[in-house]
Amino acid sequence: MRDAVIAGVRPAAVKAYAVLLLLSAVFMALLGWSASAYYVPAACLLLQALLLWSGRAYGLFKWILVVNQVAGLVLILVLWLGDGLGSLKLDIAGVMLLLNLLCGGPLMAIWGGAMLPALRRGKRLFRWFNPQLA
Amino acid sequence: MNRNSLACLALGTGCLLSLLSPARAATFGGTVTLPDGRPAFGAMVSVFNAAKNQKQTVYTAADGSYAIVTPYYGSLDVRARLANFEDGLVTVEAAQDSVSRLDLQLKGFADAQGASDALSASAHNAVLPWKRADDRQVFVSQCNYCHQVGNSTTRAPRSHELWLSTINKMEGYLSMITRAQGIRFASALEKGFDGKPVKATHDYGPTAELARAKVEEWQIGDAFSFIHDMDVAEDGKFYGTDEGHDKLWVLDPATDAIEAFDLPKSDLPRGGLFSGMHLAIGIFTGSHGPHSMAQTKDGRIWITNALSSTLMSFDPATKRFETYAVPGDALYPHTVRVDGNDIVWFTIVASNQIGRFDPKTKQMTVMRLPSNGFFRWISDMLFPTLLRISSWFPDKALLLDFSHHRFLGYTVLAFPYGIDVNPKDGSIWYAKLYANRIGRIDPQTLQVTEYETPLSGPRRPRFDKDGIFWIPAFDEGALMRFDPATAKFESWKVPGVAPGEYETPYALNVYRPTGEVWMAANNSDRILRFSPATKTFRSYPSPTRVTFLRDFSFTKDGRVCSSQSNLPAYAIEGAVPSYICIDPAGGERDRAAFAGARPALGQSTQQ
Repeated sequence: MRDAVIAGVRPAAVKAYAVLLLLSAVFMALLGWSASAYYVPAACLLLQALLLWSGRAYGLFKWILVVNQVAGLVLILVLWLGDGLGSLKLDIAGVMLLLNLLCGGPLMAIWGGAMLPALRRGKRLFRWFNPQLA
Repeated sequence: MNRNSLACLALGTGCLLSLLSPARAATFGGTVTLPDGRPAFGAMVSVFNAAKNQKQTVYTAADGSYAIVTPYYGSLDVRARLANFEDGLVTVEAAQDSVSRLDLQLKGFADAQGASDALSASAHNAVLPWKRADDRQVFVSQCNYCHQVGNSTTRAPRSHELWLSTINKMEGYLSMITRAQGIRFASALEKGFDGKPVKATHDYGPTAELARAKVEEWQIGDAFSFIHDMDVAEDGKFYGTDEGHDKLWVLDPATDAIEAFDLPKSDLPRGGLFSGMHLAIGIFTGSHGPHSMAQTKDGRIWITNALSSTLMSFDPATKRFETYAVPGDALYPHTVRVDGNDIVWFTIVASNQIGRFDPKTKQMTVMRLPSNGFFRWISDMLFPTLLRISSWFPDKALLLDFSHHRFLGYTVLAFPYGIDVNPKDGSIWYAKLYANRIGRIDPQTLQVTEYETPLSGPRRPRFDKDGIFWIPAFDEGALMRFDPATAKFESWKVPGVAPGEYETPYALNVYRPTGEVWMAANNSDRILRFSPATKTFRSYPSPTRVTFLRDFSFTKDGRVCSSQSNLPAYAIEGAVPSYICIDPAGGERDRAAFAGARPALGQSTQQ
């Protein structure tokens, strides 16, 4: 893996995740035909697939995943435990849902859960985005 | 020669006028004949009051005879109506306490268009060409939800694009179809409603029992009123919830006096918590959306406010309202009933919950019902959030851009809809319209047990006095019977008025002294009466075209009443909603009264 990254060869994990992101983008776009808001996560998933494939914009790629995860997590917690928030509950949940969709939606959340650990310094995806630091 | 005589001569019949007892106004009797002179069986003879905002109707017997005693006098329209024939209409001058013989003759239609225009919606929507077999059921569920499709307002020919636009507007009112279904529906509607006359022969199945009945109607509200439910209260008055205008319409049938009470204002915008949806301008002017009613023993009437998610009480003695917020994410409190301990129970459809309120302690409990599957669980979790997001952009129906029903269909929601109390054990039972389940709640432990229904679309059920649960299957045009003791279902298909036509039974109620089930039949302008003893339906044709009834309620003297609730009201014949009551024996009483008046009539003839 290390050698492949140094040699500029695209690692298998990158290919696999990029394909998953691309397929997810296509799936979301199909949903978007029925409910147009799903075009937004479709576009985000496509962007992430391109960024990952090309190994560019590590910061943007990572922060999209982080925001997606945080928004999804807060959304779940607020809906589950947020009755004490009163009317604010649904406002917070609404903002978090929009943020989550803006950052790729539920499928991004699933793949992000697997990709984020690999984006830590020294890990496979980190090295792919940052070959000079590998 | 007075106008009465002229009108009768024009019909080729004889008419007489005489004074009778001062308790009555205009009384009419006579026969109705078909164009060929044979007696018309089951024809409706309606007498309109001079102001044309009330009418009373009786049905002819097998020999074509009828008699009707009305409280009206002055210039009165008298109309004979029978399916497959053109109305016979005369205007007569009726003095107070008059008795008139008035024979009426029905006519054939001048052309095929006239015959088609007189048919109920059921004939027109029966010709819609469905490409997929399952589309019709979804169409029934989602497009016949609040109104008929196929009446004169809704069957106007439109292009595919205009139908798509209309369907999109309906989705803004929460018609929950997928985009693909919407496109297919637009194709079917464009092809089916092409403006050409439809041929059908309708049979409402007249019976001797029908000729015993009498129908009373009082127009109430205006062309934009959306009087969802009507309830007969202990004071004998009729209370109706105007969901669009945040009003309570009260009719005293003894005096015909009408009062309207405005619900107290809420802090919410127009449309309440549903302000983000595309609610009809002019019809939805309020924010509470009063929907259903039930009365506690202290006389207070409890109202579910669907749009503001509140429970409200109205005290008929003091005319005061009190508002109680339903806590949490509750969306669309729907049908309300009161149990034997005066606890108020209500369904909350859009968030899949049941509310329980104790008026004595003012304690409100909201319990979540089983989600019945992953996608319904997603709906339960996210639907209130999506509506909140929609409310940030009023009237844009943004929900449609987010909700998974747009690709999975209406079944992503459970929709606990009707509710009732089992008189045998006090348990609370509900029907889930979209999840096709009924459920029992133990009133003490709140433990829930659910049963799948054999037919889809269980809507507003009721118990009979023996604890049998009667359930209308809206989507499949049937009546279901469920015995909680054996957990067994039986079902009966509602007969259509012509081959190939379907029925949409929205709600029912059981007249407990006889055990008979009265049920709405909103596609064919009739009311159904089911006898559990003979397992047969009887039809009562409605005197008003575009009859779309909701909850049924009974008066102490055995009349069954409801509200004309088609949305919009201006599509109803006469363009105004009404309260309607059927007195199963009212026609028979009128016949007896008319027979008693015959000596006077005879004397008048001899003079």
